[in-house]
This record gives sequence, structure tokens and C-alpha cells, in this order.
Amino acid sequence: MEANNRNIKNEIQEKLQDEVLRGALSRFAEAYPISRAKAYENVADIEALREQVRQMKMSAVADIENLADKFEAEAAKRGAKVFRAKDGNALKEYLINLCKEKNVKRIVKSKSMASEEIHLNHDLETAGLHVKETDLGEWIISLAGHKPSHMVMPAIHLNREQVAGYFSKELKQEIPTDIPFMVQAARQALRGEFLEADMGISGANFGIAENGAIGLVTNEGNARLVTTLPRVHVVIIGYEKLIPTIKDAAPILRTLPRNATGQLMTSYMTMTSGVTPVMVKQDGKWVEQDKELHIILFDNGRLQAAHDDKFKEIYQCVRCASCLNVCPVYTIVGGHVYGHIYAGGIGAILTAFLNSMGDFEKINELCIGCRKCVEICPGKIDIPHLIEELRAKAVKEHGLPFGVKAVVENVLSNRKVFHTLLRLAAIGQKPFQSGRVIRHLPLFLAGMAKDRSLPAVADVPFRDRVSKVTRKINQPVKKIAFFSGCNIDFIFPETGESVYKVLQDLNMEVVFPEEQSCCGKPVLGMGDRETAKRIAKKNIEAFEATGADAILSACPTCAETWHQTYIELFEDEPAWKARAEKIGHKVCEFTSFVAKEYQKAGRLVKTAGNVKVTYHDSCHMKRGLGIYTEPRQLLEAANGYELVEMKDCDKCCGMAGAFGVKYTELSMPILKQKITNIKASAAEIVAVACPACMMQIQGGLDKQLPNVKIKHVAEILAENIKE
Amino acid sequence: MKKVSENWTHALTSGTCSASLFPEFETRAKNAAAEVFRVKTAAEAKEVIANLVKYTNARKVVAVDSPLQQAAGINATLTDLGVSLYTEQADIAEHAESADIGISAVEFGIAESGSVCQDALAFESRLVSMLPPLHIVFMNSNRIVPGITEAMETIAKVYDRGYISFITGPSRTADIERVLTIGVHGPSRFVIIAVDEEVNGGKQ
Repeated sequence: MEANNRNIKNEIQEKLQDEVLRGALSRFAEAYPISRAKAYENVADIEALREQVRQMKMSAVADIENLADKFEAEAAKRGAKVFRAKDGNALKEYLINLCKEKNVKRIVKSKSMASEEIHLNHDLETAGLHVKETDLGEWIISLAGHKPSHMVMPAIHLNREQVAGYFSKELKQEIPTDIPFMVQAARQALRGEFLEADMGISGANFGIAENGAIGLVTNEGNARLVTTLPRVHVVIIGYEKLIPTIKDAAPILRTLPRNATGQLMTSYMTMTSGVTPVMVKQDGKWVEQDKELHIILFDNGRLQAAHDDKFKEIYQCVRCASCLNVCPVYTIVGGHVYGHIYAGGIGAILTAFLNSMGDFEKINELCIGCRKCVEICPGKIDIPHLIEELRAKAVKEHGLPFGVKAVVENVLSNRKVFHTLLRLAAIGQKPFQSGRVIRHLPLFLAGMAKDRSLPAVADVPFRDRVSKVTRKINQPVKKIAFFSGCNIDFIFPETGESVYKVLQDLNMEVVFPEEQSCCGKPVLGMGDRETAKRIAKKNIEAFEATGADAILSACPTCAETWHQTYIELFEDEPAWKARAEKIGHKVCEFTSFVAKEYQKAGRLVKTAGNVKVTYHDSCHMKRGLGIYTEPRQLLEAANGYELVEMKDCDKCCGMAGAFGVKYTELSMPILKQKITNIKASAAEIVAVACPACMMQIQGGLDKQLPNVKIKHVAEILAENIKE
Repeated sequence: MKKVSENWTHALTSGTCSASLFPEFETRAKNAAAEVFRVKTAAEAKEVIANLVKYTNARKVVAVDSPLQQAAGINATLTDLGVSLYTEQADIAEHAESADIGISAVEFGIAESGSVCQDALAFESRLVSMLPPLHIVFMNSNRIVPGITEAMETIAKVYDRGYISFITGPSRTADIERVLTIGVHGPSRFVIIAVDEEVNGGKQ
């Protein structure tokens, strides 16, 4: 497709400078979570409802062939003609032939993303047919010649002035920018289209196998008119929309409007099964006849996904697009950058299946893995995880880009080389360094350091400080092995010292296995599983040898990698899987571990203090490990501090591993929001429990809010311990 | 008039519907910009209809018939007011597009969302509910199910084929600058007349 020669960087720049888009998206990002929460007020158990959607859709995809057969048979029994289209070409051929056969000249469409997926309108028009989109947003973008930038609000990137311009041109009269007036103008213009159309083409929000019905949810009522007025109705429905029974539509109807638009229900929900009556005027008289109904069951990559053990998960999508609404990247750049029809994280995945892996690879890095979407998806799809799976698939197929490959395979997988380089970096950066952050960078790195100072590599890494901070503990209560991770080892060794101090104060023996290296997450993030496996094996061996009671990490990403990813990595190597599972059980995240110990010791008591501290939830900590109360309890118990909450405390800071460096232009606006929220909280200290967030936020504070300092929770706890 | 089912009453009364859910239904329907009038007897509905006709200055009305409307004597009221009333299928097809008001009946309401469920198999029932700028529906105020789940359970009892709709307030859009605007392709006003009196179906 057209995506092959894309320059994503240029496209991003263009969108970042689009004031209309930026304004609309930022207002929407503000309003959406509030309206969604309000819409769910009368749902007693949201989690149970989401689980219901997930289970229902999972069972549907597991039985997709039978479901499709049943749907087809029941629809046919009720007079529908069902055609299974393998791809866009098959669909178009069928449809254009049908138009010829039935003497169709004029077509009205209600929204169908599947038809956009294959640029159907273009081909219909080329075949000489008169085609009108009737959803207002779709009509606007068709007049503008744009692609939808959002699945639910296709024209969100345009303002009223732009829309009035398109309307004026189309309707050949001056249309003022008054929105109700414009809507009325559209009503009048499209009413005639409905009344004169020979064929209505609709999508479907669900298809019921039990009785061959399709369901449509709309607010404008256009789908009701498209399915009612013309003498021929064509439904384009993807396999992923099939559900077993009428009752199974309930969980979809309870979540889709609430998640999509913050409504308890859309204005219209329509179900139609089999041929229905239609009235046509013949020789000046109205006569009733059976409507001609055609259902096109659309594959175009969907069945391949259904039969894939991992990617069948996309069948849990109800197309509410709420994953876009909370995505830190989407809400900055909008949908067009994603290149095709489906935007955001779910869009990236759908693009891989419905278009090509090549199209996916262009945009896959726009997912920063913050998992905000996972929290609200009605079908509970783990979008970032699927994107990681796709990346791994891409790397397996084509390998890493040459330069990256060299670095990953020769440097990151070899601890000694990697660490030597980091030590050299500590010397090389000297000319640019002031204090502990690099303020100015030469030439090509300048963009990276504009609104954010970059951290400096520490003079003495933590591994060289271990012997100095290790105390001999008499009769230790536990033996702890500390996994520092790269950030603490080489950027924030003081955090490692604080961890030691806190644990030793709890009368625990702490050891640091020298052979430990990077956890492997950055390599995995790029999709290179083989290198990650090599790294994981070295780490597992090193920690098994310690015989420790627990392994502690003060970085949630490392902790999660140990807990979960190592086990998944060794799916094909049972012996290593068993070792990874055994040792994974011993891995604890620092704050949750200490909170438990403090609780036992009666030290987790709220204290009064003067210094306002606010806590930033790391994505991996909150949504990965599910830890968010413990660090707050520790801060409330810390002498001298008062915990204050900031707005969007759990929204990504924009670091997200390599993303923060590679896509600085996107990372900076995300960071800026964070700094704004920190400022508004009036806190003097920002506490974090993740060294990657610490790096990013520290850089932003240094440039934008220099009076506010950042500390790892471990440092705050360490301050409270008397020597 | 064609219907998906003649057994809605049975499907509903054997389920969980209750008049006690009406206040919640009314609140939610109003939140969705529906106008709700609750009356004790079908006869009282006449006044509501008469007022709506007067205030909107309506000249032409299309209506599909229902036992509730018959009991209320709506057709006579409208004729007395001097409006042109069309109730036959072919007349509705001819006049719905230019009518000021469409009148139909719905089977039940849903408290959770303030929606009403319309058996819309008849082509003319969809025309009266979509083409005129004002759509009025009649319903029994004791036919309210608690939620969407119960609504789908009720529908499952009677739905084999045909056309069924939920209607929740008037037609709306927010496609331009996310500004909520009422009345796009469907009606800009949606009025629910809920009658307490139980009027048993069957054609008179």
C-alpha cells in the first residue's frame, strides 16, 4: 500500500504542528476519562462485565468456523444471501456485480470500517456508482478527501471552520460556522440521498449466529435509514463480529457505548435478521415487497488471526476505540500517523493482519507500552503485549536493522563489553556535564536535550560501591540478593546504596552477584528474543548461585521481566522454564517488600510532615505489577513528609525505554504534561519507584521546574534511618 | 401491521419487568434528552398529544396504530385539531417525509439506559420513527426491565427474525468539534408517553 515509502518522523512533525488537531485531542483526552467514568456509575461490577465480554468473545473465536457456518445458515434460512469474501478484491467484485444485476445506481452507506479498510468507495465510484457516506463524520472526511483519524470520531482532527469550508464547497453555498446550522445543512443534503438510494451498505457491530441477525449502534440514525429505505441492503461484517446468541449482545451493548462515547446507550441500536419489508413506488403506487438482503462475511486476514494462538485475542475487540482515547501517543499525534484506517495500539495490530507486517513495522514503535489501554479495554485485550509479540515476529522474519543488530548482539548480550562501554561513557560525557545531568548536547543530540536534561553516567557504578556499603549483619533474618538493573548500576548508584541501607537496617544480609547484567527488557522491546534468552540465562545462573531467600529489584520493569517474561521466553525450553519459574517466585519489588516488613515491625504508621511529596506511578509498577498502595504507605510513614496526589499520577512520563530517546518529539509533550501536573500539586519532592521514570522526570524538572527534586522511595526511606 | 412478535406481553410479564423501575427509567431517558410524560389513563394522553400539536404548530401527522393509542382515542383527537393524519401503510410511505410528527408504540423500556425497545418489523413503523422531526411513542409504564441484559433476555424469547430497535433519546451527533448537536438524520425531539393503565392488546 501507500505506506511503504513513508517518513514517519516527518509525518509526526507535521501533526505536532497542527494546532487544530493538538487542541482537539488534548481537550478530548481531558474530557474522556471523566465521561467514561460517569457512564459506568450504574454498573455495579465493571471488572465482571469486562470479563463477561472477554469470555464471550474468547469462546466465539475458539469456535469461529462453526459460528460462521451457523450464522450463514440461519441468515440464509431467513432469506439473506451470504457471501464469504476472502479479500477486498473478492468483496468489490461481488458488490459491483450485484449493483449491475440489481440495476443499482445510487448507494448510501452507514459507517463500515471494513469498507474503509479496502477503500471501497473509490472502487465503487470508479465503477460509475454514486456513493454517499451518511455518518456525519464520515461524510465530512469524504468531502475533505481524508482518512478517518479515529474509529468513532473520524473527523476529530478538523475544526468548525474547516468543516464549514468543505460544506460550502459541496453544497455550493456559503455555510456559516455555526455547528447546529451545519448539522441541519447535512441533514437536508443527505435526506435526499437516503430517499433516492437503491442500495444501503452498512457495517455491523455484531452478528448473531443463533438467528443470523446483525446489530448496529449509531447516534445519528443513519444506519436505521440505510437499513430501511433502499430496496437492497448489503451488510459488510468481519468474522470478529460474530457472537453465538442474542443474549451475548448484552455485554457488548453494555460496554461499547459507555467506552466509546461515555453514553449509557447510543440513540439507536438496531437489530435486523433476514429479509424485512420495504416499500417502493411502482407506477405511482406504494407497494410492499421483500428487501433484497446480502451479507458479506469479510475475511481479509481475520481468519488467519483467529487461528493464531496469540493473535486471536484481537477478536475480543468491540471497536469502541477507547484505547486511542487514553493513549499518550495517540492523544498527541492523532490517527493519521498510524498510516492506515485503524489507529492507536489496536490499530497497529489490526494493520499487521488486515494490511501487512510491513505497514505494522513502520508504526509499531508508537506504542510505548504504558498499558493505560489495557485498564479500560472492554475485551481486556493486552494490546502492548500483542505489539511486542508482533515485533518479535518481525525480527524473527527479517532480523534487526543492521546497526541495531550489531549493538544488541555484540554489546548488550555481553556484559563485560556493555559495562566497559558504560564506564567509558562516564568519562566521555565530562565536557557536557554539570552536576548529575547533562544539560547541553552537541549537534544531533540537541533535540533530545531541549526540554529535558539527560542523565549522566555515574563516575563510579554501583557495582564498584557495593563493598563500601555492605555491612556485616549478625544473625540476619533474611538473605537478599540485589538485582540492580542498568539504571541503578550506572546512572543512579545512590539509589542502590539506599536500598542496601534500608534492607540492612531491617537486619537482612544483602549480596550483589557480580555476574548480573541488564534484565534484557530493552532487547526484548526491540523484538530480539534470542539475545534476551542468552541474557536471561546468565542472570538466572548468577542468582541461583547466591542461595538467597529473596531477590530484590528497585526497578519495576526488571522485576516484571524476572517474574513473567523470563518464564514466557523459555516456553520451548522446559528445563530453563522450570528454573525461571522457581527463581521468579523469589523476585520482589523493593517498595512492596519493604512495606510488608515495615508493617510487621510496626513502622508503617502515618506521620505528619511539612515537606510535600507527590508520587508518580510507573506504568510497569501500577499496571504491570499492580503495586500502588505500598509506595504511598511508605511515603506517608516517612518522617517529615506529607503525601499529596497529583492529577493523572499514573499516566506515563514518556520515557518508555528507547522510545524517549528515539521519539524525543513525542516524549517531550508527554513529559511536559507530567511536569505541569507536578507543578499544580505544589509538591517540593516527586517520589518514584522506577529509575527509568526518575531519569525522564528528573530531566524535565531540571529544565522546567528546577526547584522540585526527584527521589526514589528508597532514598526517602534511607534518609529516615539514623547511621 | 407486521410485528416480530405478538407475544411481547407474555415475554415481559414472565420476566422481570416492573412499574417500580419507572422513576429510574424516566431519569435516564431524560438524561438522554427524551421528554417523558407519565399519565394514569390512556385518555389523559390526549391532552399531551394536543399540547404537542399546538406548540409545534404541526399540520401533518403520520401514525402507526397500537392498542394504547386506540384506547386513548388519539386519532380522533388529532382529527379534531384539524391536522392531516395518515395511518395507512401506503399513506405513511407517501407522507412520512413531509410530516411534522410521527407516532408509534414501543414494547418496553430499559431502566439502566433510558432506552425503549421498538418492534420495528413494519416498514411504516420505522418511517414514522425516523423521518419526521418529532417522534412520539406510547408505552405502558409498568413495562420496564431493569437492564440491557434483561432486555436482551426478553428479546431472545420472541426474536426469530425481523427488525428490532432500541431508541434512546433523539438523534444526535458530536462529529464536529465534539459539540453535542441534536437532530441529525432522525428526529430532533423524542417524546415518551407512558400510560399506567394496563390496556390489553388485541385489535379492537
